[in-house]
Amino acid sequence: MAVTSAASAPLPRPAWPGWRHLPRETRDTLFLLGVIAWTVVPHVPRLPWWCSLMTAAMLAWRALLALRNAPLPPRWLVVVLLVAVGALTLLSHRTLLGRDAGVTLVVAMMALKTLELRARRDAFVVFFLGFFVVLTQFLQSQSIAVAAAMLVSVWGLMTALVLAHMPAGRPAIAQAGRLAARTALLGAPVMALLFLLFPRIGPLWGVPQDTAATTGLGERIVLGDVAELALDDSVALRLRFDGAPPPRPALYLRGPVLGAFDGREWRRSERGAMTARAGELRVDGPALRYEMTLEPLRLATLPLLEMTPAMPPIEGLALRRRADGQWVADRPITQRLRFTTEAHVAFEHGPRASDASLREFVALPEGYNPRMLAWGAQLRAARPGADARALAQAVVEHLERGGYVYTLEPGVYGRDAIDEFWFDRKLGFCEHYAAAFVVAMRAMGVPARIVTGYQGADPTLQDGWLVVRNSYAHAWAEYWQPGAGWLRADPTAAAAPDRIGVSRSLAAPPGAVAGAIAAIAPGLLARLRSGWELVNHRWSQWVLDYSRGRQLDLLREFGLRHPGWEDLALLLIGSLVALALAGAGWAAWDRHRQDPWSRLRARVQRELRRRGVDAAPHEALRTLAARLRDVHGDAAHAPAARLDALDRLRYGPAAARRPPRDWWPGFRASLRDTAMRRAPR
Amino acid sequence: MTALPLRPWAWASAGVRRRWRRWWQARLPRSDTQLLTQRNVYILPTRAGLLFAATLVVLLLASINYQLSLGYVLTFLLAGSGTVSMHLMHGTLRGLTLHLRAPQPVHAGDAALLDVVLTADARARHGVGLRLEASDDERAATSWIDVPAGAQAAARVSFVPAARGRHDMPPLVVETRFPLGLFRAWSLWRPAAQVLVWPRAEQPAAPLPAAPVAAAASGVARRAEGGDADGVRPYRRGDPLRRVLWKKAARSGELVSRDTGSTLQHELWLDYAHCGARDAESRLSRLAAWVLAAERAGVDHGLRLPGVELAPSHGDAHRRRCLEALALWR
Repeated sequence: MAVTSAASAPLPRPAWPGWRHLPRETRDTLFLLGVIAWTVVPHVPRLPWWCSLMTAAMLAWRALLALRNAPLPPRWLVVVLLVAVGALTLLSHRTLLGRDAGVTLVVAMMALKTLELRARRDAFVVFFLGFFVVLTQFLQSQSIAVAAAMLVSVWGLMTALVLAHMPAGRPAIAQAGRLAARTALLGAPVMALLFLLFPRIGPLWGVPQDTAATTGLGERIVLGDVAELALDDSVALRLRFDGAPPPRPALYLRGPVLGAFDGREWRRSERGAMTARAGELRVDGPALRYEMTLEPLRLATLPLLEMTPAMPPIEGLALRRRADGQWVADRPITQRLRFTTEAHVAFEHGPRASDASLREFVALPEGYNPRMLAWGAQLRAARPGADARALAQAVVEHLERGGYVYTLEPGVYGRDAIDEFWFDRKLGFCEHYAAAFVVAMRAMGVPARIVTGYQGADPTLQDGWLVVRNSYAHAWAEYWQPGAGWLRADPTAAAAPDRIGVSRSLAAPPGAVAGAIAAIAPGLLARLRSGWELVNHRWSQWVLDYSRGRQLDLLREFGLRHPGWEDLALLLIGSLVALALAGAGWAAWDRHRQDPWSRLRARVQRELRRRGVDAAPHEALRTLAARLRDVHGDAAHAPAARLDALDRLRYGPAAARRPPRDWWPGFRASLRDTAMRRAPR
Repeated sequence: MTALPLRPWAWASAGVRRRWRRWWQARLPRSDTQLLTQRNVYILPTRAGLLFAATLVVLLLASINYQLSLGYVLTFLLAGSGTVSMHLMHGTLRGLTLHLRAPQPVHAGDAALLDVVLTADARARHGVGLRLEASDDERAATSWIDVPAGAQAAARVSFVPAARGRHDMPPLVVETRFPLGLFRAWSLWRPAAQVLVWPRAEQPAAPLPAAPVAAAASGVARRAEGGDADGVRPYRRGDPLRRVLWKKAARSGELVSRDTGSTLQHELWLDYAHCGARDAESRLSRLAAWVLAAERAGVDHGLRLPGVELAPSHGDAHRRRCLEALALWR
């Protein structure tokens, strides 16, 4: 109701007669307008300003018309407005098709249609457009909060629909709401069945693209551009191990590998893009089996545990492992993935002997970072005969002793960012360390590259799952050692040993409310947060994450050996047929069910007929009593009095729900006692 | 019943449909009390229901293409609710008992009111509509009603009989679209009761005929000339209001009645043969008007039709007898 009054607030209102005294038509219209407003409001931040403004104005106008009981605007005006909406949409979105233009159009048209609510058909159009608006909300977010808000919308729309089909009298909105909720609740089993068993298939046309990267992982690095790194605490992925999880410092999740450097920007290297050759990954030791749920990162990369040699097939995605050890898909991953695979913590990868593929990993652009190049050459010259491992060790030692400071706010760096970082400011985060290390190694002629990904996890398990957040995004380095292949080096650990392995050491300062809560009950905040995340995780696991794979898992639990989508379809059809039969059975059973009053009436009628008193089914009990007296006179006094008493019980001020149990035996006895002749049979 | 379509094949199909409907209705037994069961409640999707199905398909396509789990939830929730609404709607009619109260006679051209009592069992029923099967504007002609659980409610439908006589009730349709309007459930009912239709009373009524010579010097004759010469006496309890002389009462402040005691002693014969030389229906119409006028004036009147003769009398029962004779004559 609050929404309704908000919708009509901006305009001067005629004297408000109070919600209860509104004419029914007006009340129903205001209610529908309120539901529409509630449905549209979450879209407002993404709608063009004119659309929000126009929708608000039209809803307010319609509310005013309803309050004044004024006639609706003429049709030509609505057509003019419709043309205007089309033109403005074209102007804003450069198209009438597509997602954003579609949302704008649907919202504006729904508001327009309220100005045309003449016949029942118009109302239906508004309802159905409303369901579309609800759906488009899910394109933006499918969180629990959005789901709850949209549930209210759907309930409101259904209530309005029910209200439209209760034409008699002035039914309360609460009553219509209850009836709508009852319909939806009764429909819930059908919904659950369809949701569980309707075969999930991939996108039908086009791949939904969203270029806004929202995570800590990127496919390129520009050093020095980022003056301040915002910590994104949202969950990136969750891991569950069959046995004990490996220690946090050993948790390296391999993301994009950046080997090409043009002086400013690090990108993926071309060579690395090739599919890995057999024999380039040599694993050792026992396999570590793990399950991962990966939030949609909108990257074509799967950050898997180092090193994962094989992946199970995933419906709708073509996965491959590149030569640089990175797992990629054929398109950005926009849905949540869940899979089980194995990793080996002990491994070697890359060529053992030097070959042409390494050449690009020693390349350095000319004219950038001259001091670093000189420093590298000098270090190299000071240690003749040292291998790559020893040189890497020397660089890390320099980092440990050089007074480098780990910070998330290093400030902006200039053109020779590596030089500036290495010799002058010595402030940076993982990307600075990794990049500087790689340039130093390359300056000494050692092949090296940056690896990005995630490192570490929350210290506590959630529901048995290790939680990896976007704030755990990390960059480390790899260098090539003849005879061994690529070796990992984490130069950040040298400057900030805390950063590796220990989690949450770099939490952003809390906000005011969070700070107050933390001051009152330390630990409460963390517990609240972890509880909420748990609920969220379950939500994504059971609702959002429900995919073809999970459906087939379900069938396997039912005992099917090799389930396919045909089994899903068959099971779905079978269950629906069973449900339909159950519905028909209910109707058949319901036909024979009589309410206790009718049953008793029928018995009374039969008994009276036997005694020559005719009774029609519609006649009141007291009519029967009167007739009984007419036919049998005083002899029938006792049973007639009982009939009158029953009539009072049934229709009196304290109407009973069911007849008292002892009434029928008493009535029978009084009939038998009285000296009434039986009608000849 | 929409306007007749223009295309010839549509004409033919409308004819076929009409014939089919007549055949089908003729098979329905007539009864004044009808219990709605699975056997006589029919159900079909409405146009809105088809639109709803199309909406569901589009929602499903969008959910598939954008891989929206909540989109699936929404689509399936609506689909489930729609399916359930069909059962709920059928349940709204099923188990409902309809009973037609004995209809009151009316004049031809006046609306006959059908009082239908709906009795619900333990379930409350909402949005039950009742209308004539052959109504032109379904929306306007439908009378909507809610029946509380275990209670009765009365709905009233009217129809205008065209001719006098005893008529069968037109078939009635009881229907509902509750709760979501995606389907329409309906049942056809042919009540057994008949309605008696009196002839249309002539409007404006011709003056009552002069009393025959045998009943000379009567008030009726004077009334026919101007009527003001009636005797006047103070109002007595029980005087009909139409005999009160309101103008006089307003002037004098006292209630006075027209004293027509003398007229009661005279007899007036309303005779088919002597009521103007026009066709039979107009004569009956005039006679009906005269019966009403004579009753209003409190004159004893007898009715003479070819083959029928009712002795002069007055009172409500007599009036009904006369009108019935007029209604059923030949």
